[in-house]
Amino acid sequence: MLERLLTELGERSDYDAASQCSRCGYCEQACPTYVATGREAMSPRGRNQIVRSLLEGKLSDPSSAEEALSSCLLCSACTTVCPASVPTADLVLEGRRMLREGKPHWIAALASRLLVENPALFEALIRWGNRFKRWGLAGLAARFKILRVLGLPAMETAILHMGETPSQTLREILREQPERKGGAWAYFTTCGTNFLFPQVGKSTLHVLESSLGEGTAPEHPCCGLLSFNYGSVEDARTLARRTIEKFEGSDCPVVGDCSSCVAFLKSYPQLFLSEGEWKKRAEAFVTRVRDFSECLDPKDLPTGTVSETGTVTLHDACRARNGQGIIDEPRAVMRSLGGDRCRELGDGGECCGGAGAFSAMHPELSDVLLRKKIGAIADTQASMVLATSTSCLLQLVRGLKVYYPECRVLHLSQWIENSLPK
Amino acid sequence: MNDFDTLRASFQGELLTGEADLITYAYDAAPDRARPDAVAIVSSVEEVRAIVSWCANNKVPYVARGAGTNLSGGCIPLRGGIVISLVKLNRIISIDTAKEEAVVEPGVINLHLQNALAPLGRFYAPDPASFKICTIGGNIAENAGGPRCLKYGTTTNHILSLDAVMPDGNLEHFSLEDRGPRIVSLLVGAEGTLGIVTRSTIRILKIPDSITTILASFNSIDAAMSCVSDIIASGIVPRVLEAMDRMTIDSIEDYSPCGLPRAEMVLLIEVEGDAARVERELEQVRSIAMKHKAGEFRLATDEAERARLWEGRRSAYAALSRLAPNVLVEDGVVPRDKLPEAARRIRVIAKKYDVEPALLFHAGDGNLHPNAVYDERDADWTRRVKSLGSEILKMCVELGGSISGEHGIGVDKRRAMGWLFSPETLTLFRRIKRAFDPDNLSNPDKLFPLEGEAPSEGVLRPKPPPPSDAQTAFIERVREKANRKEPLTIIGSGSKAPKTLRDGQEVLSTKVLDQIIELDHANLLVTVEAGVTPRTLHLTLEAEGFYAPIPLVPGTIGGLLATNPWSPLRDGVIAMKVLLANGELIEVGSKVVKSVAGYDVPRMLLGSWGTLGIILEATFKLSATRLEIPTELPLALTPKSNPWFKRLQDAFDPDHRLNTWAIEDKDA
Repeated sequence: MLERLLTELGERSDYDAASQCSRCGYCEQACPTYVATGREAMSPRGRNQIVRSLLEGKLSDPSSAEEALSSCLLCSACTTVCPASVPTADLVLEGRRMLREGKPHWIAALASRLLVENPALFEALIRWGNRFKRWGLAGLAARFKILRVLGLPAMETAILHMGETPSQTLREILREQPERKGGAWAYFTTCGTNFLFPQVGKSTLHVLESSLGEGTAPEHPCCGLLSFNYGSVEDARTLARRTIEKFEGSDCPVVGDCSSCVAFLKSYPQLFLSEGEWKKRAEAFVTRVRDFSECLDPKDLPTGTVSETGTVTLHDACRARNGQGIIDEPRAVMRSLGGDRCRELGDGGECCGGAGAFSAMHPELSDVLLRKKIGAIADTQASMVLATSTSCLLQLVRGLKVYYPECRVLHLSQWIENSLPK
Repeated sequence: MNDFDTLRASFQGELLTGEADLITYAYDAAPDRARPDAVAIVSSVEEVRAIVSWCANNKVPYVARGAGTNLSGGCIPLRGGIVISLVKLNRIISIDTAKEEAVVEPGVINLHLQNALAPLGRFYAPDPASFKICTIGGNIAENAGGPRCLKYGTTTNHILSLDAVMPDGNLEHFSLEDRGPRIVSLLVGAEGTLGIVTRSTIRILKIPDSITTILASFNSIDAAMSCVSDIIASGIVPRVLEAMDRMTIDSIEDYSPCGLPRAEMVLLIEVEGDAARVERELEQVRSIAMKHKAGEFRLATDEAERARLWEGRRSAYAALSRLAPNVLVEDGVVPRDKLPEAARRIRVIAKKYDVEPALLFHAGDGNLHPNAVYDERDADWTRRVKSLGSEILKMCVELGGSISGEHGIGVDKRRAMGWLFSPETLTLFRRIKRAFDPDNLSNPDKLFPLEGEAPSEGVLRPKPPPPSDAQTAFIERVREKANRKEPLTIIGSGSKAPKTLRDGQEVLSTKVLDQIIELDHANLLVTVEAGVTPRTLHLTLEAEGFYAPIPLVPGTIGGLLATNPWSPLRDGVIAMKVLLANGELIEVGSKVVKSVAGYDVPRMLLGSWGTLGIILEATFKLSATRLEIPTELPLALTPKSNPWFKRLQDAFDPDHRLNTWAIEDKDA
């Protein structure tokens, strides 16, 4: 556990942070899971109270908190509307860690350890996984309920939800290219981009190069978000230290194209509240971290022609909108290229229900949110929706295919790339 | 505690019993907590009925709940049992702009209703601070207010009819059109102690053509409040009239600077209507503000500018909530002219408890919200803040005000009801509760002190002037008849009583009660005896520049109230002195323009034809501008018997001795 959090009101113990919730309820209507279920335990206020009770040892049956805590999307829409900015997502993660008592699910623990001790093997396993998926073995596995036998029903759902899997990871592609040696930026390869959407990374690099000049794309460890959310905090710290070390020694911005990872990179100082030296290094690192969607100035973009027609809209990644406060920047870019064709979603930036492992762990609830999101997209009659997080991409690809196939989803960088001179 | 298997047989909806679920229904936005034994999330009225019937059969207590944002502990299940969550009954059934009404389920969020009405050019007036999240059902239970209720009144003024699942499990419909007592008015503000509202027809209003927001700053609270008094006295009824003190301003500016002047008090005033009226009232407000040496005087006419001025007011709570984990949002009312004194006394009380409250007033109606931060984990700090709140409420009562303007009583203030109401009145409240809910299962232990729990100080409200000789004699006569258990026939002028009534029995007329007891210039209130005629009252008031929302028709004011031939009457009447059949005197309502303390007996009595109690005196809100009032009314219809009317008779007049001649189908 972290035990101390970095909140908007300053550094707080878990208990103080949870107690800062005065139960006013202003968060309730902002919470997608509460609105969908009407259950107080599935609301931010409810979750704050549950975590507080866990901390106070007042729950005689802590396992009853499992569902409420596991069903949090960690979208942080609540913190955005909370008068006191109570960090519910961080508290929920602490609550989950309490329930796990340091015993994460074996597959999560294994993944977390592998990322720290043998990232190459992790990469190889994912590649093999992708191959299995392409060979249609995932369907076979599902039919024989192999994953369920292994205690992994969520993974079974996840694999079935995944669309086409790439044959080459982004890192593999980059290794085949001449090494980048520019100084304008450093590209941070997020896992989602690397393993699932390498073409997003290619687009991001192309757009960065044409608008900001030459940069670098160094090899580096995973940001640690997977360990932080599902494995151990200690693993996350190790990965964070390595990441910081890797990018130190330059002032250039560190740019990532998955908002979940970037938001986590920006939260590094919270990992080191009791390690003065590392906290300082983390703070220095954070000043350089940029979400792809916030690092472009419309006037830096070459005015190319966008071949497509039709309405285009933007889906906010929760970790961009609520996690980093990024709202205007991607819209400015979208409007500069899409002009009158741009429309706003009418749902106030609500979560699509992807939320990392959420869509696999709570498929029904996830689908309720997905249908709402697709409904909001359909209301704009968009033929193109832009996203900035790979978790959203996965979810929206699936949702559009089923509910609104007239529309495509692209990462913002892919869409921008389409407008660049060929 | 309970075996819910038998409940599951009749209720197939979602029934939560896990510990984590139960602790999340143990609280609302106030400090009190108590865990239920189960939580039912209902999706239909039939499910509500199934649960209430099961509870009635098994003697299990239950509490209806909306968003759980109330500030008085109103939805805390003090005795455990079942929490019935109504959040999924959230359909807007219909909106009828021709009839200016909408039909909604209780789980509809106030904001969602506003969003549905806005494109039609309409709005729903009650706008509690939590309007983005709170439900209409909760608003009805608490009789919620908000800044706009200065002009439009609290929730009760906007409820036309409602369906409720009563404690016996039956679904009933109550309406302002009912023949007999307006039980609909009794259910609004009853905090779910008498029934669970499952659908309501609400009044909707046209959005005014234009609204202008004014910010005016003053270097003393007295100057600001004198300005408020003069604005009200000028006849302008602003859409809102809010005040913030120095401490509130400082905390807002320290948190998110929005350019509020650092003055002792800032007023936010809104005037609305057609352009000419807005212009006229704006100039009036400007000259009144200048007379009181306003520092800044800023205007906002478009939506964006208005939003900017409101940003500060709206962030007052947020600013405080970041200073400590908890904020006490106290809610009391004083007569408007007592606001400066109240502010001074609050400072003295605050010093005593070493707490620094920030003051927010809905100044136009004397509703004050002293807000004090604390940490509920710190016992001493919590005690000091609670003592501060309690003492402020006591002061409000002493100044002739009320212990709640819009938050309700719940469990937090049930003891304080003993300062406001006499033991006889509290007993009447208990009898009403018992008549409707004999097993005390529907949200038990709320609204009034438990037996023996009333504070030792007793009633603290200012003593009214002694009754007139005629009134004393009248009361004596009723008591004599009460002692002999004789039936009582009460009339006003007799204009609506059948001619045969006088045959063979004594008829008591309230015509002898013909005094105008008090004309409160500063607060625009008048208290009259029941026998005063509308004509006399209007002549007296007009001579002083006031107008009453009372039709100019023959008969007495008491007779008008008792027969209620004109339903807008209820918007003007705020308090009554009532003589019960057993000779007890009851004072209900409060002589301030805004109060939601206790069952709304004054409005319920409208249309009761003297079958429940004898109205001796009534207090009305006045206007400083001429009102449109009817001079002719349709014939008032006599009350019709029904089971719930009978239960009210049991509470008010157990022997059914009062005016039984007036009731149709009484043997039905």
